[in-house]
Amino acid sequence: MSISRRKFLGWVGAAGLGTAFGTSAHAAANKHFKGYPESSGVLFDSVLCIGCRKCEEGCNKVNELPPPSRSFDDLSVLDKKRRTSIEAFTVVNRYDNTRNTKGPLFRKIQCNHCLEPACASACFVRAFTKTKEGPVIYDPSVCVGCRYCMIACPFGIPAYEYYEALSPRIRKCTMCHPRVIEGKLPGCVEACPKEALTFGERKDLIKIARERIRKNPDLYVDHIYGEHEMGGTSWLYLSGVPFEELGMREDLGITPAPELTAGALGSVPIVVGIWPVLLTGIYAMSKRKEKIAKEEQEQAVSLALEEANTEAESKFSKALAKAQKEKEAAIKTEVKKALEEVQKTQEEEDA
Amino acid sequence: MAMRKSPLQWSGILVILVFVLAFGLEANETKKQSGEVLDQRSDIITIDTLKSFDVLERPEVIFFHDLHTEALNKSNKDCKTCHLPEKPENDRLSLKFKRLKDTDKQVVMDIYHAECIGCHKDMAGSGQDAGPVEVCGQCHREEPGVISSRQSMGFDKSLHFRHTKGLTAPCQKYQLEKEKETNQGDCGICHHEYDEKAKKLFYAKEKEGSCRYCHMKETEGNRISMRLASHSACIDCHQKTLAEKKDAGPVKCSGCHDLKEQQKIKKVEPVPRIERKQPDVVLIRANKAEADKEAQVSRMNLVPFDHKSHEEYNDSCIVCHHASLDSCSKKCHTAKGSKDGDFVNIERAMHQKGYEKSCLGCHDINQKEPKCAACHALMPANRKLESSCLICHTKPSQENATAMVSDEKVFAEMLLQSRKAKTEPYKDEDIPEKVIIKDLEDQYEPVELPHRKIIKTLLGNIKDNKLASYFHAEKGMVCQSCHHNSPLDKKPPRCGSCHGKPFDERNILRPGIKGAYHQQCMECHQVLNLEKPKSTGCTDCHKEKQKPLKAS
Repeated sequence: MSISRRKFLGWVGAAGLGTAFGTSAHAAANKHFKGYPESSGVLFDSVLCIGCRKCEEGCNKVNELPPPSRSFDDLSVLDKKRRTSIEAFTVVNRYDNTRNTKGPLFRKIQCNHCLEPACASACFVRAFTKTKEGPVIYDPSVCVGCRYCMIACPFGIPAYEYYEALSPRIRKCTMCHPRVIEGKLPGCVEACPKEALTFGERKDLIKIARERIRKNPDLYVDHIYGEHEMGGTSWLYLSGVPFEELGMREDLGITPAPELTAGALGSVPIVVGIWPVLLTGIYAMSKRKEKIAKEEQEQAVSLALEEANTEAESKFSKALAKAQKEKEAAIKTEVKKALEEVQKTQEEEDA
Repeated sequence: MAMRKSPLQWSGILVILVFVLAFGLEANETKKQSGEVLDQRSDIITIDTLKSFDVLERPEVIFFHDLHTEALNKSNKDCKTCHLPEKPENDRLSLKFKRLKDTDKQVVMDIYHAECIGCHKDMAGSGQDAGPVEVCGQCHREEPGVISSRQSMGFDKSLHFRHTKGLTAPCQKYQLEKEKETNQGDCGICHHEYDEKAKKLFYAKEKEGSCRYCHMKETEGNRISMRLASHSACIDCHQKTLAEKKDAGPVKCSGCHDLKEQQKIKKVEPVPRIERKQPDVVLIRANKAEADKEAQVSRMNLVPFDHKSHEEYNDSCIVCHHASLDSCSKKCHTAKGSKDGDFVNIERAMHQKGYEKSCLGCHDINQKEPKCAACHALMPANRKLESSCLICHTKPSQENATAMVSDEKVFAEMLLQSRKAKTEPYKDEDIPEKVIIKDLEDQYEPVELPHRKIIKTLLGNIKDNKLASYFHAEKGMVCQSCHHNSPLDKKPPRCGSCHGKPFDERNILRPGIKGAYHQQCMECHQVLNLEKPKSTGCTDCHKEKQKPLKAS
C-alpha cells in the first residue's frame, strides 16, 4: 500500500467538506414542506370566542376523560390560567388586561398539530406520527417514557401520567383523529356554539381567516397565528389584539423544530460512518510508519553488529596469530635458551 | 508558604466590589422610582432655548410657570417682572423671558442665569421660599420627577359665542378702545388678515376664519406659531380685563390646560349660530367654472347639503373646513384634484373613509355609537347598498330640475326638502310577533325569539337620529340588520335557507345554522351591553329540556 501524505490529507479535507455540504442540503429540502395536501386543521377565532367552555366539555366527552372536579358550567375556573393536562386535552383561559375595550378575551389551548412536529422529531422511538389527515397522533405501545416530547414542544402541550405506576402514557389532543377519519368533527369544534372554531382543510382555513381580516380590518390583527409559526401548524388563530396579550409566544420564529436539529442530527451518520474509517486510516498510517522505522532500525543494528563482529574476529584472530607467533617465538627463544644452557652446562661439564 | 495576595490585588478586588455594589444600588433605586406615582402638572415649560444655538451642555430646565406666577402675586409683583413689552408704544408683553429676541447663546444664557438666580437670591434674602441659587443640578435636573398633564385647548363654538355676543361688560371697554383705534368692529379684536404690501395686519369683514388657517404649529417668518399667537393674544386680553377688576378668562397655565379646570369652563347650551353670512343649504358639486370650461355635466345627482344642521353637530368649523372657509371645490378639491388640495379630488374629499373631514368618514364614525354598532359592527367594513348613494345624491323631480336652471340656492333647498328622514317600518301585523327556533331541539326546548320586540327596539334606537332615519327610511331596511344579504321584502328567506351544516367546503365562508344564530344574536347583545341574555348563559334563551315523563 502506498499513499502519499499529500493525497491522504486531500482525502481528509474532502471528507470534512462533504460533511458540511451534506447538512445544508438536508436543511434546504426541509424548508419546502408545506404540510400534507388536503390535511385538515381548525381555525380558532378569539374575536368570536365567548369563553363558555363548551369545547372543554365536548373534548372531555368524546375522549372519555374523567369528569372534572368543577363543572364545565362553572366559569370561575377561568380566574386561573391553566395548561393542558392528562385530564383536559384542551383548556380555555381568560385574558383580562388586553387592549380590547369591550371586556376580557379568551383563548383555547390544545395541541397545535404542527406540520413538522417538534415532539415527533425529539422522539427516538417514533411514538409520534404526523398523519396525512393533519392530526399528530401518539402510539403508547412504543413509548419508553423519556418525556423528551414534553421538553421539545414549544407550546408546552404534552402531559404525562406521572401517577400511573406500570404503563404511564403521554396524553395530548389528538384532533379527534379517529372521528376525523370517520368524517365527524372534532369534539370541541362540534360543541362550539358560536363557530369560533372552524374545521376544514388548512388551505381553506387560511382563506377564511384572510377573508375575515379583509372584511373587518378594525376587528382583527392582520396576522394568522400558526400559518408560519414553527414552520406552520394545523391549528390557526385569529385575534383582535397582539397574540402576545393572549399569552401566545411570539418569539418562536418560522423555522420548523426538526430543522433546528436536522443539521446536528444529520451529520451523525457521516460521523458514525466515515470518521472511523478515516481515523483507522490515520492510525494505520502512523502505525506503518512506526513499523518501517523499527525494521530499518533493526536492520541497521544487525548490520552494525555484524560489522563489529567481523572486525572483532579479525582483530582476535590477528591477536591470536600474533600471540601464537609470540608464543612460538618465546618457545623458540626458551628452547634456544635451554639449548644454550644445556650446551653451556655440557661445555662446563666438558670443560 | 501559603499564597498571599499583594496589596495591589486586594485593592483591585475592592474596586470591583464597590462598582458592583454601586450598580446594584442604582438598579434598586430606579426600580423604586418607577413604582412611584410622578407628580402631574399642567404648567410645565421646558426651557431649552439654547438648543437653537448648540448642543445642550446640561439637561434642559423644567420650569413650573404657575408656581412662579403665584410667588410673584404674593409679593405684589406682576408679569412685567419677567416679561418685557413687545414694543414701547404697545403694552402687549413678549412671551420670552426678560428679552425680546434670542440673539446669541451667551447672551440668552446670561439672562437666564443672572435674572433667575438674582431673583431667587432676593427672595431668599427677604426670608421667603425661593428657588435654587447655587447648585446647577437643582434647575438642570436629569430626572425632573414630574410629568406633564397638559391638555390641549380648543376654542369651540360655545367659547366663541361667549367671546362675542354672549360677552357682557368685562371686555367691552377694551373692545371699544380697540374699535376706536382700528375702526374694525368687534370681530377685528381677534380676527385679522395680513396685508403683504403694507406689511400690516388688517381686519376684513366676513373673511374671518379659524386662527389655525394661518398660524401653524411652527413659526414661519413673521407668521407666529399658533402657540405664540394664542398665548400672547388671549392672555393679554384676559390680563387687561382682570386689571379692570372684571370677570375674565384664565391667565394661568392650568386655567386652560388642566383637565379639571377645562371642565369648569361654562358651556352655552344650545349655542346660537355663528353668523358669517354662511348658507343654510349648499349644493355640493364639482367646481362649476371647471366643469363649464370642459363642458362637462355632472352625471351624479348633485348633493343638497344641510349646512345649518351640520353646524350644530360639530364643535367648530375646522372639523370640515380644515384649511379655509371657502367652498371645498373652489380651489382645492376640484373634479380632478389640484396641487392646492394635495390632489384629493372632490369625490375623495367627500367619500374617503376613515377621515372625519369627509362626509362618509364622519358618518362612519357616528356609526361606531353602540346603538348603530349593534347591527353595523357585524357588517363588513365596506358593505354598501347601491341605493344608499341616492340618499345623499338626491334625485331631482321635474319641477326641481327647472328650479336648478333659475336659482341654484332655491334648487338646493327644494332638493333637501324632497328628502324624507323618516323610517317607515312594516305594519305590526306584517311583523311576526314570535319566531320559534327548533334547531337545538335535541338538547333544549325550542327558543322563542321575541321577533317584533327586537324590531321595535331597533326602530326605537334610531328614532331620534336624523342620519340613521335617512338611511333606514326604506321599508325593510331595519330588517337587514339580521336578514342580511336578502332583498328588501316583507317576507325575507328563512335563516335555514342559506345556513345549514357547518363548514361546508363548497361555501367555506358561510357559517352553519348554529354559528349563524349565535354570532348574530350575541354580537348584537354584546355591543348593546345587555345584562340578559348573557352570551355564556345558555338557559337565558334555551329553556332546559323537560325530561319526558316515564310511561308508567
